Amino acid sequence: MSIFIISSDAREIEENIAKKVAEAMGYKLLNRDILATVAANYQIDTDKLSEAMKTTPSLFKKLPSRQWRYYLACIEADVLEKLMADNIVCQGLAAHLYVTDVSHAMKVRVLSGNRQGIQTVAEKRGISLQRAEKWLASELLQRKKWSLTAYNYDETDLTRYDLVINLDQIDPAEAVKTITGAAEYRKFQVMTYSMKCLSDLALAAKVNGALLKSMADIRVQARDGSVVVLTRASSRQKRKKIETIKALAGGVEGVSYVEVHVKKNILKETN
Amino acid sequence: MSDQPLKIMVIDDENIVGKRLKPALEKTGDIVETFEEGEKALARFAEDPFDIVVTDIRMEKIDGIEILEQILALSGRTKVIIITGYATVEIAREALSKGAFDFIAKPFKPSDLRAIIERASKELRP
Repeated sequence: MSIFIISSDAREIEENIAKKVAEAMGYKLLNRDILATVAANYQIDTDKLSEAMKTTPSLFKKLPSRQWRYYLACIEADVLEKLMADNIVCQGLAAHLYVTDVSHAMKVRVLSGNRQGIQTVAEKRGISLQRAEKWLASELLQRKKWSLTAYNYDETDLTRYDLVINLDQIDPAEAVKTITGAAEYRKFQVMTYSMKCLSDLALAAKVNGALLKSMADIRVQARDGSVVVLTRASSRQKRKKIETIKALAGGVEGVSYVEVHVKKNILKETN
Repeated sequence: MSDQPLKIMVIDDENIVGKRLKPALEKTGDIVETFEEGEKALARFAEDPFDIVVTDIRMEKIDGIEILEQILALSGRTKVIIITGYATVEIAREALSKGAFDFIAKPFKPSDLRAIIERASKELRP
């Protein structure tokens, strides 16, 4: 077993469980502490990265969609790079939404439950149980909206997780034991295929980050150093956009071949 | 590590796979036998066990997961490496939980398989 990705409907519980699992396993904990490093690497304000992890862009916000997607791409690229190392517990970085098809990454969802969740939030935030309940409900809605906007993936859909634990039925100490016990299952061990899937994802994320810095509407897939970029452009812009993408993506370490597929941008075409 | 050559069995119903892998794996002095049919491979294995079995998953009469189970039932020390052009997380996890040593998606370079075989041989001859 090498990667645990832990998420919850209550951030406080998620942090607590992830920390205890990392301690119990002797694994490194990967959480939002890395945002400062990501910010430095990409020369972005750390607060903007933190904000991007919480909010969705809208016309009224100071965070435009393109920039928001770029910030998320920077975080994703950095997280995936770090996940290439073994034995990590990852939390708070939305990795459960973009680490897909990596069989040695166990995705764990911890449900705070009514009793445990409300109580923990009330204690940690110094608010009444009633306010904590409202806060949790609105946080859950916000996270659902965020996950759908950012990765087109509803994080409250429990069928997407490998292990789901309800803290109303299993207390946090037992939850930690359950999670660490699952690490012994062979099916979650690293294999050549799963490492390759992870390295392909990491390369695609790096290319995505490099492209989103200066353009929007990009989708990247990678396999063994070959990269396919899907984008949109008007007929007039098509050639230039392909050249730019090939130059930018080709400059990313690990990329040996770039193929660009352009769909017509109907809106720009009619303008 | 011992200098004894490894006995490697390759099972794939596409004969091009065996044809390509056999010379590549024999370069290091190991003994390689290739089979296109799972039943024949299992019969051969029952006569004389191999150190390493490399098997495809999707084959007509008997699939790679069944081969994996039967091989491990005959010889617990044999390392079974699964190769497939239809890799998914579910299949990969199933293969590992049933005792596969490793799982690799096609297409792969012979050197990728060689690296897995080297790891397997280290476990066979610590």
